[in-house]
Amino acid sequence: MDILARIQAASITAPCLAPQHHHKHLQQLCFPMSTGHHFSCFYMHQNHFPVAMPGHPCRIPSGSIRCQSGAVEAPEMQDVKFSKSMLSFDMGKDRLSKVPASQIRNFSIIAHIDHGKSTLADKLLQVTGTVSDREMKEQFLDNMDLERERGITIKLQAARMRYVAKDGEPYCLNLIDTPGHVDFSYEVVSRSLAACEGALLVVDASQGVEAQTLANVYLALENNLEIIPVLNKIDLPGADPERVRNEIEEIVGLDCSEAIFCSAKEGIGIQEILESIVAKVPPPKDTSMNPLRALIFDSYYDPYRGVIVYFRVVDGSIKIHDKIQFMASGKEYEVDELGVLSPGQMQVNELFAGEVGYLAASIRSVADARVGDTITSSANKAGMALSGYQEAVPMVFCGLFPVDADQFGELREALEKLQLNDAALKYEPESSSAMGFGFRCGFLGLLHMEIVQERLEREYGLNLITTAPSVVYRVQCADNTVVECSNPCELPEPGKRVWIEEPFVNIEMITPKEYIGTLMELAQERRGEFKEMKYITESRASVIYILPLAEMVGDFFDQLKSRSKGYASMEYSLSGYRKSDLVRLDILINGEPMDPLAAIVHKDKAFAVGRALTQKLKELIPRQMFKIPIQAAIGTRVIASESISAMRKDVLAKCYGGDISRKKKLLKKQAEGKKRMKSVGRVEVPQDAFMAVLRLEKEVV
Amino acid sequence: MGSYVTTLCKEITSTLSQLPQASPLKTLFFGGGTPSLLPPQYLSRIVDTLDQHCGFQCDAEISMEMDPGTFDKQTLKQFLGLGVNRVSLGVQSFNEDFLKACGRSHGLQDVYEALDIITGLNVSNWSLDLISSLPHQTLEHWEECLREAIGLSPAHVSVYDLQIEEGTKFGVWYKPGHHPLPDEDKSASFYRLASSLLREAGYEHYEISNYAKPGFQCRHNMVYWKNQPYYGFGLGATSYFNGKRFSRPRKLKGYADFVELCINQSSDNFSANEEYLSFYSNTVESVEDRVCDTIMLSLRLASGLNLNELSKNFGHELRVHICKSFLPFINSGHAVAVDSKFKTVPPDTFSTALSEQSASKVLKDVIFIRLTDPDGFLLSNEIISSLFTDLPIK
Repeated sequence: MDILARIQAASITAPCLAPQHHHKHLQQLCFPMSTGHHFSCFYMHQNHFPVAMPGHPCRIPSGSIRCQSGAVEAPEMQDVKFSKSMLSFDMGKDRLSKVPASQIRNFSIIAHIDHGKSTLADKLLQVTGTVSDREMKEQFLDNMDLERERGITIKLQAARMRYVAKDGEPYCLNLIDTPGHVDFSYEVVSRSLAACEGALLVVDASQGVEAQTLANVYLALENNLEIIPVLNKIDLPGADPERVRNEIEEIVGLDCSEAIFCSAKEGIGIQEILESIVAKVPPPKDTSMNPLRALIFDSYYDPYRGVIVYFRVVDGSIKIHDKIQFMASGKEYEVDELGVLSPGQMQVNELFAGEVGYLAASIRSVADARVGDTITSSANKAGMALSGYQEAVPMVFCGLFPVDADQFGELREALEKLQLNDAALKYEPESSSAMGFGFRCGFLGLLHMEIVQERLEREYGLNLITTAPSVVYRVQCADNTVVECSNPCELPEPGKRVWIEEPFVNIEMITPKEYIGTLMELAQERRGEFKEMKYITESRASVIYILPLAEMVGDFFDQLKSRSKGYASMEYSLSGYRKSDLVRLDILINGEPMDPLAAIVHKDKAFAVGRALTQKLKELIPRQMFKIPIQAAIGTRVIASESISAMRKDVLAKCYGGDISRKKKLLKKQAEGKKRMKSVGRVEVPQDAFMAVLRLEKEVV
Repeated sequence: MGSYVTTLCKEITSTLSQLPQASPLKTLFFGGGTPSLLPPQYLSRIVDTLDQHCGFQCDAEISMEMDPGTFDKQTLKQFLGLGVNRVSLGVQSFNEDFLKACGRSHGLQDVYEALDIITGLNVSNWSLDLISSLPHQTLEHWEECLREAIGLSPAHVSVYDLQIEEGTKFGVWYKPGHHPLPDEDKSASFYRLASSLLREAGYEHYEISNYAKPGFQCRHNMVYWKNQPYYGFGLGATSYFNGKRFSRPRKLKGYADFVELCINQSSDNFSANEEYLSFYSNTVESVEDRVCDTIMLSLRLASGLNLNELSKNFGHELRVHICKSFLPFINSGHAVAVDSKFKTVPPDTFSTALSEQSASKVLKDVIFIRLTDPDGFLLSNEIISSLFTDLPIK
């Protein structure tokens, strides 16, 4: 079991100098080409029925009980600082009641990870009485284990709050949470932002603006959102809100004269934020009379009710039992359940233009209700869909193989189940002589890949080997066809290729100036091409490179983080395909190619990679009864070679009456070890060796 | 000492008296610890007890492990008088430094005195233990040691590697395969050298670690390797009978309690007896265990695995299966198939036979499969564990 456990761990943790950084950096990935999907909808019940419904039975298919319980319970007030908010508690109970569109405010929060978005969201829910202190689990909006462990928000959620402003009017505030990261997130973020009229830009007053924040601010500006700058964590000793205010003005070009100083943790500035939302965020247009158009900004699969769709009504209205149509997929359904998120699901009968809600309509797969799609009424169809829908295009690929061949069926079932909830996940069967049967899987990006792997292992109890991630190459063939290929084994023969193109990304790194040099070095090592550098403040700079995506899917982020001691952040977007001098590097053990270890690498790096891989394998493959050559080759040309000498002696000297049981145990253990090895021809290769080499490949390729 | 021997004799009595008819012993072996320190009168009590309850066959082999420096001529003479007819002398090395290195309390002087006593008393069936792969040992040292041993012309020689057990001072000082211990390659060459020198000198390499002049194989130990039943008595002793392997408690108190229980059981009724069995004894060895035991033990012997016996005990299918598992090792020269006329079956013939439909027919002719000396023996763990991996039994 030991070894298995190690394998599990290994397969999910990329090798990095600073494992803590490893997961964190990922949230800064933004992947603009990833489209239409979002795998944010992975997380089922626990996310969607959080503590607001104590003991919410996700097993009860249609839950009328759950709906109001959280809302009506009298909240307990512990923090006297919020005397004013006592008022809103009472109002909080009425948050389902309808308000005119002019009193609706839809907003989201843009923040870099750790800049306090979750804490602020929690505080807003608390102050408006949407959730009582007692119900408040730390950081309400990210209550999924995986998210908590990584300190990131994967799940996108919404919360409807009722707030009576200073003007004495009750307002309906919809907070639409954007995921704080997700490569890939571009679509989700952009759809969530498109569902709002305003956004809080939360920046840590001691840290300043980060690359990811910037990307999302630009997205918000593109969507014409009213942006309210909030400087958070002003209570911290290192806080320098004035400096950060200037930084935002300089970088974003946003007027920050009215930026709100806040400490979500201490409850400072919360009231100001709420007032500012009411005053500055424009109300949605009242277009209730038009034909229904609702924008899907999230969906997830619930095994009892089918897909739950989160949407913003843009035009018209939607009622329970309405016949609706998804304009991109063309599928029609009847609304079984309609409600709002506050933040638990609470049923209502009808939602109007400007409102945010969810529906269930016995939809079988999230692929049928994709993010960005437009919901309209079957009876009174809208002429045009809302803009923004794109198919999900996986950008990063890897092979997933069960360690135990018997788990192939389970792996397939698990992938099927995950796909129900993750329209962006693609997979097809793959087999290899060394690894047996498995799947070639496509992901939106690295985080997506890691999360899928981790869920397969954690939730489905699978023990997996993953091959090094690869990207989609375009091969111009001699017969004038173009072959797209992500699996090194499928790369056409050198003779048939004219050239290979690979995807490149534009990468922007924001870093304190002392790390500029080391980060430029990093980018150069990764075949980066320098584009520009500008100082955003005296002490911080933005460095832009163009580099191959393949160089990024390895440990680039770990490196960025570790080389900048965690201070640099980054953001990337696909810039298109370019020709590169690429070769397929094969690894041969005892003359047999090890398909899963084959890699497409740049010609200049092939030698170093080949040497590193063969050396690693030599270290890890135990001696066997015969000598084993290990080679790295491009085509038939061997570029690196090692060999493992034959085993000389493995014998138990003494085996008398008293030793038999013990020796038998030893030999059986040795036999068990053999079962965990993969045979490559006559050579038995331990799983760990595969894992280690795959990990190394992620580093060096 | 006296009370331990009393307990031991009680165990013998209670165990043997429970048996309907205990047949006379063919072999008896005093080993583990240092039996040569046992005062002869105690040995006499033990032998008498055994004689009383089951007796000895007239040609019974009675061996005793003896360490240099722990006995004098008088003692050995008395042992011989009590029936001991085979002495296994734990010499270990003929080099003062190495004797110290392998943690022995005796010196070279003790070794030669012990040898004088043995030869002086005309003990013809005596064995000599040697240890190789000692720290700083070179091939030259080892050859010297082997030649010295051969010169003394013992009937039997056992050669072991230094075993580094975790938790001992050796385990703290040395790591196997690392300096100053010889590496795997060197340690293999020690083994090869022993095998070739001893065989040259007329010793049969009849078991992985054992060599004997014709007719002087240790009959007692052969019982273990042939997977035959044996009794075991005393602290930590292991027995194998009624299909059960059982280890006695290793601590004096636990052992005394165990014997007490045995005595109560023997005088008690049947149901209590069952309870004792379930409490102390392992369950009967499973078929898988018996197959594994058979493979593991028989392949230690130069004669190898008897396929006729294998099919008799476990069925014909297993025979074919095992032959298939052996194929790569036969092809690589680590194992050899032998037919009923004790002739080697060439690998090609063997492999062709296996690939044909008539496999079972041809394979009937292959009676033994044995590991080669020294190549197969040296890699016996690897081979045996591969065979285990291949076993069709879950």
